[in-house]
Amino acid sequence: MTSRESISMNQQHHQDKATLLERLIFNNRPVVIGICLLVSIFLFWQATLIRPSTSFEKMIPLEHPFIQNMLEHRNDLANLGNTVRISVESTNGDIFSKEYMETLRQIHDEVFYIPGVDRSGLKSLWSPSVRWTEVTEEGFAGGEVIPQTYNGSPDSLEDLRNNVLKSGQVGRLVANNFKSSIIDIPLLESYPDPQDQGKQIKLDYQAFSHQLEEKIRDKFEAQNPNVQIHIVGFAKKVGDLIDGLMMVAMFFGIALVITWILLYWFTWCIRSTIAVLITTLVAVVWQLGLMHAVGFGLDPYSMLVPFLIFAIGISHGVQKINGIALQSSDAENALTAARRTFRQLFLPGMIAILADAVGFITLLIIDIGVIRELAIGASIGVAVIVFTNLILLPVAISYVGISKKAIERSKKDATREHPFWRLLSNFASAKVAPVSIVLALLAFGGGLWYSQNLKIGDLDQGAPELRPDSRYNNDNSFIISNYSTSSDVLVVMVKTKSEGCSVYPTMAPIDELMWKMENTPGVQSAISLVTVSKQMIKGLNEGNLKWETLSRNPEVLNSSISRADGLYNGDCSLAPVLIFLNDHKAETLDRAVNAVQEFAKEHNTEDLQFLLAAGNAGIEAATNDVIKSAELTILILVYICVGVMCMITFRSFAATLCIVLPLVLTSVLGNALMAYMGIGVKVATLPVVALGVGIGVDYGIYIYSRLESFLRAGMPLQEAYYQTLRSTGKAVLFTGLCLAIGVCTWIFSAIKFQADMGLMLTFMLLWNMFGALWLLPALARFLIKPEKLAGKQGGSIFAH
Amino acid sequence: MSEPVMARAVQGAPRGRAAPAALAASALLALAMGLFANTVEAAKNDDAAKTIYSQTSDKASRSLLIDVVHAGPRLVAVGDRGHILFSDDQGSTWTQARVPSRSLLTAVKFVDDKHGWAVGHDAQILSTDDGGATWNKQFEDLTREAPLLDVWFENTQHGIAIGAYGAALETTDGGKHWQDIGDRLDNQDGYHLNGIAAVKDAGLFIVGEQGSMFRSSDNGQTWETVQGPYEGTLFGVIGTSQANTLLAYGLRGNLYRSTDFGTSWDKIALQGVRGPLEFGLYGATLLDDGSLVLVGNGGTVLRSSDDGVSFAVVNRADRLALSAVSGLADGNLIVVGQGGEHAATATGAERAQP
Repeated sequence: MTSRESISMNQQHHQDKATLLERLIFNNRPVVIGICLLVSIFLFWQATLIRPSTSFEKMIPLEHPFIQNMLEHRNDLANLGNTVRISVESTNGDIFSKEYMETLRQIHDEVFYIPGVDRSGLKSLWSPSVRWTEVTEEGFAGGEVIPQTYNGSPDSLEDLRNNVLKSGQVGRLVANNFKSSIIDIPLLESYPDPQDQGKQIKLDYQAFSHQLEEKIRDKFEAQNPNVQIHIVGFAKKVGDLIDGLMMVAMFFGIALVITWILLYWFTWCIRSTIAVLITTLVAVVWQLGLMHAVGFGLDPYSMLVPFLIFAIGISHGVQKINGIALQSSDAENALTAARRTFRQLFLPGMIAILADAVGFITLLIIDIGVIRELAIGASIGVAVIVFTNLILLPVAISYVGISKKAIERSKKDATREHPFWRLLSNFASAKVAPVSIVLALLAFGGGLWYSQNLKIGDLDQGAPELRPDSRYNNDNSFIISNYSTSSDVLVVMVKTKSEGCSVYPTMAPIDELMWKMENTPGVQSAISLVTVSKQMIKGLNEGNLKWETLSRNPEVLNSSISRADGLYNGDCSLAPVLIFLNDHKAETLDRAVNAVQEFAKEHNTEDLQFLLAAGNAGIEAATNDVIKSAELTILILVYICVGVMCMITFRSFAATLCIVLPLVLTSVLGNALMAYMGIGVKVATLPVVALGVGIGVDYGIYIYSRLESFLRAGMPLQEAYYQTLRSTGKAVLFTGLCLAIGVCTWIFSAIKFQADMGLMLTFMLLWNMFGALWLLPALARFLIKPEKLAGKQGGSIFAH
Repeated sequence: MSEPVMARAVQGAPRGRAAPAALAASALLALAMGLFANTVEAAKNDDAAKTIYSQTSDKASRSLLIDVVHAGPRLVAVGDRGHILFSDDQGSTWTQARVPSRSLLTAVKFVDDKHGWAVGHDAQILSTDDGGATWNKQFEDLTREAPLLDVWFENTQHGIAIGAYGAALETTDGGKHWQDIGDRLDNQDGYHLNGIAAVKDAGLFIVGEQGSMFRSSDNGQTWETVQGPYEGTLFGVIGTSQANTLLAYGLRGNLYRSTDFGTSWDKIALQGVRGPLEFGLYGATLLDDGSLVLVGNGGTVLRSSDDGVSFAVVNRADRLALSAVSGLADGNLIVVGQGGEHAATATGAERAQP
């Protein structure tokens, strides 16, 4: 083992030079601990103040023309506002029964008193405002759908049935199959405090959502076993999302426990295990505290940053402990071992963290607030790790030391033969390497071919944020299938001059647009003031179907839209056209958007413009657009950055290829996996590319830097690789596991996109580790000439 | 329980008897119209240059249809956006005709299996001489701002079209020229003329708004005002297989029968599921066996096998408003209205499409 001894000598040689930074830190250890303690106390206080934030604007690409149009006309689109709908289903017969109507009445009354409900707009069959109308010889006749005389008798139930038919509420308030009816609840974003009328309280979505569950769903389903309650609406969705976030906190606990166990298995030392966990938790606290200090809240995306920071922190901590344990075997005390490890690992640690940060920073080019906050939050987080795990941890270990047992173990490890690593070192052999390369090429080609199936956007029905089988999405599909509405709405804004929305030259093209859209595949129906106008003109002509069309008479037309509340703005210069879509898949959105754009191109004039887009489908179309254009840019940027980092670190093109090519394979296979799993490229999965590559490059850097130093010592490739594996293989394997465990708990998140992110990140991190262990040596076999490196000091910044 | 609101709003808006709010708004609109006047003119010139045809759509047979008739064995239906559909297999499949219109068409009549006329909004009159496959525009008058609502033809040359605000047009050359004959009727209030029909061995009969009735014994040369039995609006009229006998139908299930060409009337009682039927009746047809079928709001289908003395009532489960009905060779029915064409059994109930 002469070669190994020469390396120890070599290491010994340059480990005696203490850098300025090292002296600064280790000569002032109490100060370092003190400062960290003070900072921790301050940032812990800050971290306790952090709150879930669900700002709508941060979720959307604000610079996109669709969104700009929407924001410009936001006040005119007020009607498309914030409502919750409760559908009360009768599981036993139809809604025309005494018991059902009584339960419906009680629910209506209960909802009335929930804070945040806009009582004046509350609508159900029991509202006096829900009326039927009929044309009689004298003109219109009408009345409340449930008249004052209603008493639940068979006769009054039959009256009710007829009134419902005459009210035009079938498909809206009453299901098409008469087995459920809806309570429509408009919400106030802020409402007066009942104690102090002068004060406004902001609507708390989570509390509101909980009240709906307790006071409505649980209570009335228990009270009347023949009803089932379905609740949908933005507020309910956000409430469920926040609940999902709370669950994520539990995942953090699980990840913590698993990591603890793994860490102990790795170190066999309870002291260093606790030291690593605590310093890493300190990193998480700092990161959260700093997030709040710079004014960010916790949204469903940035919620994931603490996990990443925790995982990255642990992996660096493990490298440190590994190093200190090795050093402890020949250092006189813990302090010396810690100092030597600091000296040896600070630089590669910094490089790895820089690579992470660079990966995160590229995300800034995506014009979506939550992603930018994720990028900034994660960058802050990895910067924090420099302080906690690269500085604080060695200092802490220098006090507590590492247990004798652990040192014994690492000593034994360093000298004994490892059959497992010996076996793996074959990846670098002349026989196995070509096979590996061919396999990798096949996997690359196959992955590339299969990832053609990759789709942009969300692919599932219902609210994309939640799982397809979540209660919210079940409720949503119940309402979609039983009422004539869809939850995917694309809104086209028709802009005219003031008072221009109700004239024939505006309304006729709107009518034409609606028909064009209704004939576009994926469109269910369209609604605008034209819809109301036609009904009204028919109504003014005694309900005669022969009049159900637009009139060229300006007065008729103008008065016909008087009841089209919310379908035109105050000065009649903007009229939204609501286009209901089957789903929000990218093809559906593309087809609808293209149809509108085609129409707009033909019909836009100075006085009449068809502008895209509002509504959730409009926002989604804009988001898809941004993602489509950012997807490739991000990928290229990340690889350029990582490549440059490697070039700077190793000053070798061949080395850069050895490290980066396995990552490329991972990216391609990742895309294929997404296509296979039916996960679309969307706001949630785009960051995974950058995160996966940024973090994944760590393995390559650790392995290659070791491999290179053994090659310089003159070893043949396979032997050098065996030595690399023996010293860092376990740490790399462990790092991969730590990172994967940190993120794989997300797979169980109630929030769909978190689960998707978790799945993809777990795959990317594990496969990147595998790629580094398997493919890197195979590539090195072809790209690196050991004889050229042997004995040279080389250009790498690790070679001092 | 039932309270009249907006009494007489029915005739309000079109004749300048609009509510004050509408008046205020209409002042603004007058301004807007001035601004748009040029564009409207320009559009007209374009129309002359290139005819705009109705669009072919898979949804045409599922969107609003107003009338359905036979052209020999073929069925022809007209409706929204200039849609004219024809079926040669008893309504199983429909083909869209080439039609130079995008207006709502309100009525269609054929005098034989080739020659037919359709009328509609923008006072359009369209004609076909190939059994409804292709159509020509014979007449259009945008300035009326009102639709034609029904059409009758005696033969391939002579016909009359009627419509809103008392419009009446006549042709004696198969539609090459149309002449305004509105002043032949004593209709000073300009009531809408909703339906026109020939009565066997008697002459022509027109019904309209406010229960107005007119009859002509000389093929439309002179018209006599008839004192009707009802003051609500009548939507249509149909002659039965018996001489001098006709039915007039309208709002809220009002159905009247006369056996003396409208001199005296009997109200036909219609019994709904609970109490008297109160749905408006919009269309009627006389079947080959002399049965009469009427359709209307709330999915109402009425059938009489005693020349209209009594009717059996069916309300289709979907309750969609129906506008017209036609008999099929196998004794079943086809009804049209909201949601396009629907198959029906002989009584009017739902029938699965073959």
